[in-house]
Amino acid sequence: MADVDQRALEPGRTSVDRDLTARLKRSEAWRSAFRHPQLDTPRGRALQSFSNVFLHVYPVKIPKRVLRMRYSFRLGFIATVLFGILLVTGVYLMFVYTPSVGSAYGDMQHLKTSVGFGQLIRNVHRWAAHLMVLVVGLHFVRVFYAGAYKKPREFNWVIGVMLLLLTLAFSFTGYLLPWDQLSYWAVTVGTGLVHYVPVFGGKLQDLLIGGPQVGQSTLLRFYALHVAVLPALLVLMLTVHIWRVRKDGFAVERSSAGSFAEEATERPAPAPAAAAMAAAAPDLYGGRVRLLGVVDRESVTEASRPVDDTVFTWPHLLVRHVVVALGTATVVLGLAVAFSAPLRGLANPNLTPEPAKAPWYFAGLQELLSHFDPLIAGILIPAGAVLLFVLLPYVDRNPDTRASRRKVAIALFTLLLGIAVVLTVIGTFFRGPGWKFVAPWTHSYIEL
Amino acid sequence: MNRKSRRDFLRDGWKLGGVMLAGAAGYTGYEALRPLASNASGAKVTVGSVSSFTEGTSTYVPAERLYVVNAKNYLFALSQKCPHLGCHVPYCESSGRFECPCHGSIYDLAGEYVAGPAPRGMDRFQVKIDGDNVVVDTGVQISGPPRGAKRFFTPAKGPGCIGKT
Repeated sequence: MADVDQRALEPGRTSVDRDLTARLKRSEAWRSAFRHPQLDTPRGRALQSFSNVFLHVYPVKIPKRVLRMRYSFRLGFIATVLFGILLVTGVYLMFVYTPSVGSAYGDMQHLKTSVGFGQLIRNVHRWAAHLMVLVVGLHFVRVFYAGAYKKPREFNWVIGVMLLLLTLAFSFTGYLLPWDQLSYWAVTVGTGLVHYVPVFGGKLQDLLIGGPQVGQSTLLRFYALHVAVLPALLVLMLTVHIWRVRKDGFAVERSSAGSFAEEATERPAPAPAAAAMAAAAPDLYGGRVRLLGVVDRESVTEASRPVDDTVFTWPHLLVRHVVVALGTATVVLGLAVAFSAPLRGLANPNLTPEPAKAPWYFAGLQELLSHFDPLIAGILIPAGAVLLFVLLPYVDRNPDTRASRRKVAIALFTLLLGIAVVLTVIGTFFRGPGWKFVAPWTHSYIEL
Repeated sequence: MNRKSRRDFLRDGWKLGGVMLAGAAGYTGYEALRPLASNASGAKVTVGSVSSFTEGTSTYVPAERLYVVNAKNYLFALSQKCPHLGCHVPYCESSGRFECPCHGSIYDLAGEYVAGPAPRGMDRFQVKIDGDNVVVDTGVQISGPPRGAKRFFTPAKGPGCIGKT
């Protein structure tokens, strides 16, 4: 009886179904793992999303406009792919690396000389880390310009700011691990900033580096943070972030007046809406709709447009995501093959290189430090910027997402962004020994 | 007087338990991260005889990460750590000054601030003369002189070192 039902569900399958594979798929064991076959019917596609833990992060259907590349430039997704690449290559590196000042640098050399593909894995890890900082930063900028931090996404914007900080912390803690001159002095300068935190600065710096100077204690705690604490925090917050993206309405409605949250409150309750959808498209939902959960507001996309304006996430969005993931991996691999991760001489606490530069994403901060008191440039300005961005959705109460109605917010943000970019470019390209101006076309002091 | 219901009492109990657990976790984290006493220096070190430190010279003591200098016949033990952001400040023979390659802070022979973004002069350790020996107490670090202190100021002997290596 079960066999007959199974074949009925799979109208496209023919004689092949009678072979061993088909019998396997009809077995109790197989069906205990995969609850239904892969069906190319609307019901099958919906079931696949509903019943698969991984696909369940996506809605079953999305508006067609979400498929357009320029809609989000897929930046959040690319950042997630880069994080995945970092996790995989990071595990490989952990097999070779020991967080000890006596052996860390040697392990880096072993990667290059004795481990097959070792240097390539390290290069991929390094480039994916740089790109992740860049892409998360661009994601942050795009979300601001799209006005996607506004109601009901305020909290998800805050989570996003935390994820940006976590990404920077990830990159900074990883920067020390090769234990070469570049990493040692960049971290010395970076942790030196903590000393300027009012009242607790000295104590905080002690906790961070674990001694009077960067040494074994620092290496061990940075390693623990890098491979255990930060990944756990990032996975936790990323899960909430992605979940909220879906629950707050998949993507911001650019063409609306930006007041979708208010519209949502005027909509009928979820159950009647679901019943209306079932009545409108009986074939699609098999004539019955289950109430999966009660939410206080629905996705923007469902009530404001007809059902046929949406497409199934699987395969339409997923195929695009696979292409973007492959593209991301290709770019990272290309960079890793073309440009090797740097490894200067063994860390020497008694010899400061000229110049001692922070990683590029902190070069703007380092530039700022050369102009202002460290308390102002290293603590008050960065902490003020983070606080400003965290509070932004609660301060900016204008519900409109259109640029023409947000001139002040966009002008201020663009000004801040411009200053940050100019400082970063100067710090990265135009500074040399003693932090003096150099023309990058005469001598390059860029550190990656 | 309103009596607290059993449900509210238990709810508050859970909250209190959570706060206590977070406190215990925080304190354990602090204990795991705070530097052990053995990490700190603090020994009294004999760095040489008084006569070995002639006027206008700087002697590097790498084991203790400090310089012993004689500026206008006063002996100072200067920490090699830049008070700006902790880089190692090398002594420049040609200029007779300490010049930090990280952000360009410059100090005179006595460690007094001359130029750059540093907030003060170089930090010092206590120096004692014991007979003919110069003894530095690395356990007693004295914050460097404020910007503007010029008591031992001497002009640069020659060109600086930053960018020359």
